[in-house]
Amino acid sequence: MPISLTMPRLSDTMEAGTVIKWNVKEGDKVRSGDIVADIETDKATMEMQCFDDGTIAKLLVEPGKQVKVGTPIAVIAAKGEDPASVGAPSGSAPAPAAAPAPKAAAPAATSSVPVTPVTPIAPATPSAPATPRAPESNADADGPRMRVSPVARRMAEGEGIDLSSVRGSGPNGRIIKRDILAASANKSAAGASIDTGTKLALRQPTVVAGAPSLFGNGPGERIVALSGMRQTIARRLVESKTSIPHYQVTMRFAMDALMAKRAEMNDAIAALAPDAGVKLSVNDFIVRACAIAMAKHPYINASFGGDHINVHGDVNVGIAISLPEERGGGLVVGVIRNADRKSLRQLSQESKFLAEKARTKGLSMDEMSGSTFTISNLGMFGVEHFTAIINPPNSAILACGAAVEQPVVRNHQLAVGWEMQATLSLDHRVIDGAMAADYLKTLKSLIETPASLTV
Amino acid sequence: MSEEMRRDARIYLLGEEVAQYNGAYKVSRGMLDEFGPRRVIDMPISESGFAGMAIGSAMMGLRPIVEFMSWSFSLVAADPILNNAPKMLYMSGGQFGCPIVFRGNDGAGGQLGSTHSWCVEGLYSNVPGLKIAIPSNPYDAKGLMKTAIRDDDPVFFLESERLLSIKGEVPEEEYTIPFGKAAIRREGTDCTIVSWGRPVHFAMEAAETLAKEGISCEVIDGRTIRPMDWTTIFASVRKTNACVVVDQSWSFASPGSEVAAQVSEHCFDDLDHPVLRVHSDDVPAPYAQNLEQEMLPNPRKIIAAVKKVTYRA
Repeated sequence: MPISLTMPRLSDTMEAGTVIKWNVKEGDKVRSGDIVADIETDKATMEMQCFDDGTIAKLLVEPGKQVKVGTPIAVIAAKGEDPASVGAPSGSAPAPAAAPAPKAAAPAATSSVPVTPVTPIAPATPSAPATPRAPESNADADGPRMRVSPVARRMAEGEGIDLSSVRGSGPNGRIIKRDILAASANKSAAGASIDTGTKLALRQPTVVAGAPSLFGNGPGERIVALSGMRQTIARRLVESKTSIPHYQVTMRFAMDALMAKRAEMNDAIAALAPDAGVKLSVNDFIVRACAIAMAKHPYINASFGGDHINVHGDVNVGIAISLPEERGGGLVVGVIRNADRKSLRQLSQESKFLAEKARTKGLSMDEMSGSTFTISNLGMFGVEHFTAIINPPNSAILACGAAVEQPVVRNHQLAVGWEMQATLSLDHRVIDGAMAADYLKTLKSLIETPASLTV
Repeated sequence: MSEEMRRDARIYLLGEEVAQYNGAYKVSRGMLDEFGPRRVIDMPISESGFAGMAIGSAMMGLRPIVEFMSWSFSLVAADPILNNAPKMLYMSGGQFGCPIVFRGNDGAGGQLGSTHSWCVEGLYSNVPGLKIAIPSNPYDAKGLMKTAIRDDDPVFFLESERLLSIKGEVPEEEYTIPFGKAAIRREGTDCTIVSWGRPVHFAMEAAETLAKEGISCEVIDGRTIRPMDWTTIFASVRKTNACVVVDQSWSFASPGSEVAAQVSEHCFDDLDHPVLRVHSDDVPAPYAQNLEQEMLPNPRKIIAAVKKVTYRA
């Protein structure tokens, strides 16, 4: 019975994968456990193992071509079968949208119904329940189930290592002791590269050797292959910016009271709990203000669903976190769940944890998914004003500038005060201009009356 | 045996060729001269008969040592040694014990063919009421034999023809080795290899080779199969997080399988890989020398198993 290898689902968000490289060619003998291909997913490049012994009868997908999860990508002739006669499934090229293609050429040994050996007219109507062993061939790589050796699981618990951020090096991606030891070493070294996405981002640039270029031929000229993360950023943001009717609304906030309150609270924390390591940032106040303002403005905390709007019950605030250049750069969004129900201090600790983890060992899928609203803050770089691209499926994102000490008018008098600008980008399918302005007004009253953020 | 027989007049030796011929393998050399024909007794080729007779004498207060020229021949005495000796204390409600030692060569002796190459531990370790000792070296052979003779229950003492010729330090003075106390033959950090009897030597050879490749093995010599020293085995697996069991019997329902099951049960959270077993292949022992070597749990198979459980394959 020929064995069909299909594109495995290597992460829970993976819909399609690209064979970067075949490590085997047609006619090669393979054994269970052999790495047959390198597959690039939306997040990383991973090795694909085969789980059967046999001979590669046919490679169905060329390197570089992206196909949907479940699409047959190769056929293995089992022992005793003639690879030449096994071949491809009835001449059908792997249709990206197709479910596992019918195996007309395969002897339907599993079927008790005699099958008339006629070439099917339409491949879409298979005459026998085919796809002989397809589920088995990738069952191990399929689905979100994580394989972890018992001792690795125990060690990870002890060390506080998130298993979903560890890549297993054992058979079928099993996470084993040495993976945890490596993750632990990396964690403590806090300098080495950790997660797969980051590693990939460090891929060697391809140097253009002497090729004449429109842009000249400076010695730094080079072509850098897109990492999985950069591909994801490229895809998602083009999708967002081209499919969502964006518009922006900016407001200016008087920050004097907030700056004073922040200083006062940080002094109090330093006096009461000097070892807690808590220092509230301006951003923590903004997160809190944005989150609790949702109660009055539920549509800011919503997703567009084609023929409906999904107004979310939980307020999960995403925070854009830039990754350091030496780790390959890029950015991720860490998510603080139920931010409207958390105190300033909790928000501060959680966002600090997410940022540090993102920059050292990488965030888990859990920590990156489920946001209902996103904040991007470039204030710490001195930026006063910018606009951000909506992070789907959110309907709004707040771009925060720096709080700047500057001449202001207060009570009809020129004075020196702290001001900050923030710009909302919104999805007009969900939120109209007045609704956005109303939300900013609530935000302004909260920020300018910071005591309201501490209760 | 002689030391014990000098100490206790109830002890006697019987079996085929043990007296006048000084033992088929010369194990009882000089014993007839020292103890005389009443205590070192030649038997006809009738294992069932003399094993049964010895069991009767043990029930009545003597302490016999029964030599089977090969444990393969004990199969014809299965009823007395399995159905009578180990159950006597239980079935008589404590009225009769059975302080007896059965001993002989066990396992492949080297081109003896299928019927003479039995590893009876696979069969006999299944039976409650008996004890099984299986020394891997001369020092243990003496210490375990003394414990076996002094034990009030039936002891199956499994020697190896292949090990009769090995040399090792054996003190003249009195010592015993308790049952159920394993020896750590080699300390290591990456993988525990549990074995007993002759395969301990295969395990040591494998560990030596693996050490050169940077894999540090801890080799445990169980010394007795019943009782098994679980404490030492579990402690080692908790340290190394990997375990390979090397057992010369066939894998199905063997003591090796029992170790694998117990380790999986008690050290589940300590394992980085399922326990692997290295056994003799599941075929009758071949006569051809190359095939016999291939069938045994040889170092090559052990090395492959250790690499697999340590993910170095």
